[in-house]
Amino acid sequence: MTFGLATSRVAPPRPVSTPLRRRRRGLRRAATGWAFAGPATFLVIGLSIFPAAWAFLISRTKWNGISPARDVGWRNYQTMAQDPELAAAVGHTIWLTALFVPSSILLGMLIAVALNRRIRFVGFYRTCIFVPYVASAAATGILATFVFNPQFGIANDTLRRLHLPTQQFLESNSQALTVICVIALWGEVGFTAVIYLAALQDIPAELLEAAAVDGAGRWRVFWHIVLPELRPVTVFTAVWQTITAIQLFDLVYTTTRGGPLQSTETVVFYVYDLAFQTQRMGYGSAVAYGLFAVTMLLTLGIFWYSRRSTVEAF
Amino acid sequence: MHRCPKIRPCRAPEGVAVAAVLALTLLATGCSGGRAIDQTKDAAAGYNPDTDVAITWWTGQSADAETLAEKLAAEFHAAHPHITVTTSAGAATTDELLTKLSAGFTSGTYPDVSYAYGSWAGQLAASGKTQDLTQWVKDPARAWDEIPAAARTTATVDGHVIGVPALVDNLALIYNKKLFDAAHLGYPTDAWSWDDFRTAAKTLTDRPHNVYGTAYSISASEDTTWHLWPLLWQRGGEILSDGKPAFNSAAGVAALEMLRQIAVDDKSMYLDQTDEKYPELFNGGRVGMMISGPWTLYNLGNAHVNYGVAYLPGFDGNHETISGPDVWVLFNHSDANRAGASRAFLQWLTSKDIDARWNLGNGNLPLRSSEQNTKEFADYCTQYPGARKFFDNLANARRARPTVEAYPEVSRYVGQAIAAVLQGAASPKDALDKAAGQAATALRG
Repeated sequence: MTFGLATSRVAPPRPVSTPLRRRRRGLRRAATGWAFAGPATFLVIGLSIFPAAWAFLISRTKWNGISPARDVGWRNYQTMAQDPELAAAVGHTIWLTALFVPSSILLGMLIAVALNRRIRFVGFYRTCIFVPYVASAAATGILATFVFNPQFGIANDTLRRLHLPTQQFLESNSQALTVICVIALWGEVGFTAVIYLAALQDIPAELLEAAAVDGAGRWRVFWHIVLPELRPVTVFTAVWQTITAIQLFDLVYTTTRGGPLQSTETVVFYVYDLAFQTQRMGYGSAVAYGLFAVTMLLTLGIFWYSRRSTVEAF
Repeated sequence: MHRCPKIRPCRAPEGVAVAAVLALTLLATGCSGGRAIDQTKDAAAGYNPDTDVAITWWTGQSADAETLAEKLAAEFHAAHPHITVTTSAGAATTDELLTKLSAGFTSGTYPDVSYAYGSWAGQLAASGKTQDLTQWVKDPARAWDEIPAAARTTATVDGHVIGVPALVDNLALIYNKKLFDAAHLGYPTDAWSWDDFRTAAKTLTDRPHNVYGTAYSISASEDTTWHLWPLLWQRGGEILSDGKPAFNSAAGVAALEMLRQIAVDDKSMYLDQTDEKYPELFNGGRVGMMISGPWTLYNLGNAHVNYGVAYLPGFDGNHETISGPDVWVLFNHSDANRAGASRAFLQWLTSKDIDARWNLGNGNLPLRSSEQNTKEFADYCTQYPGARKFFDNLANARRARPTVEAYPEVSRYVGQAIAAVLQGAASPKDALDKAAGQAATALRG
């Protein structure tokens, strides 16, 4: 920027520009542009595209990270098709997503509607809802293991006091994934609530007033005015929360490490397990690429939907 | 809602994109290679001790141990002015050292000496960047035989010595005396059988008060797996035989069945999903007996637990245990002076007097049998009750885990089998057979 200004001071513009000058100016403009875009481009290429390209090469080898890699062609991708553990991990991820995304949207909307009114201490309530989102998922996970510990946790203590049967929670292979989903919801619902709160406050008051004047009750106003106005935000949160659910790792790592009996092993955790526990870098990269392809397809699908139905979520 | 005008981004010419991907691919290909090292001649052949040389030492330690390491490196430099030792932890945690070494091999900036877990030995040797110390350790000056056999075996891959043991330990039975007194039970002895152990665990268990006789990690990590190996060895079993899985033999099945009875039939075993909770529960008086190593002594002292240590319970009088030695691995940089200097440094670091300060000072067992007469060892035994028992128990650690490249993967499958059995989801035979099938594929490569 300063370079461009300084030069223009030294050489004042002439009325007629020669082709050479025009080319110089073009180059200068390009240089200025790259000066702005360069650092970010460098970061994206260095930290995202380069590792992605490298991971693709690794995914076609058998490599433990230490000894020389051996080329195996597409074998890792073929193995994926017949790997029962991967199939189970995919199942867990789908179940988690199906449970987490609608719940976090519904809960977030509910909390936002409840907080979008003039009540005493509303600022305090809003902060309370948002604080778990700010806490790191790792901290949330560690805290949750104390709460849900079957022998010594508060959750079972409460159940005992209420004379209800105690549960195994994170140590039962049928409950663990649901418990993880509950913990994730506790951490993430603040995010959807805040987004919905902002969207609710964006709805023009005259629309709501007009409806009320026309005789619509509170429920009908919500159903016919508020909900349609929230549609773009809902598409956005759905995509965002889906990606969060698909990439859930830190909670699993700090609570169950994929157990008991691999019942909470999500795809991302399986990739970690392959690459860094059993040092199967090649196969781990292949699975990561599979996950990337699925996420990409999902995102493209949503883009297509959002363009087609004129819901401007992005 | 505010609608913003859509801007169509201009597309880069396709040729540029293709060229960029091609360039990245080529760059990436260059990355997984690294320099080849001539392994035919001795790395330190032609070492001139009078040349100034700088070597790098990755200690894998943190806090106090790292400070001590830096102090020792400075002392070594004062005694050997030609050699400068640059010391660093190498990675944030010891677990991450392997990843850092792997990155170092790729970029050609690996250290001369690095700490390594024994289970990594096979992989590190396969990197082709380690020194071959087989002849060097034969020199009587190294007093190689003073180091426990299991630790020496761990530092040896396919008959080639790749480093010097850095730490020795073993598993023994640690028990809470208060809980035994409360249950009117006699303390475990060195002659206990596994049946004695099972009966005691059952008696100590008090479900309404959340007290468990014993505990076991079911995270399917190496902590899960290596606790099974001594039980297998005591019954005459083997982990691998001729490079093929042998742990699913009758001995292995019987060993796992014994654990299954304690966990599933008696319900007197606390099953820990992580590796971290059961020592805490033991310290808190919720677990009567745990099988663990000398590294827990420090925390036991801090928690003021009234504990005792005995040999592992035995089968037919065989009280064999397992050792999980760690190794100082020496790397080859095709530079005789660096190789020679790193050997000189390691000989000094693992010598009787310096190791007494290093390992005993850090609360670990001494590396050499000759250290038991030192003042440091006497102090160590006073400071940590039970330390003497762990030292004596080194004699029961006769075998080492296989130093094959695929061991981490094999360990994972066995860990999963144990976890499934202890949670009542599989029978020992089925689970171990399945693990053996998976391990066989991993071992074939």
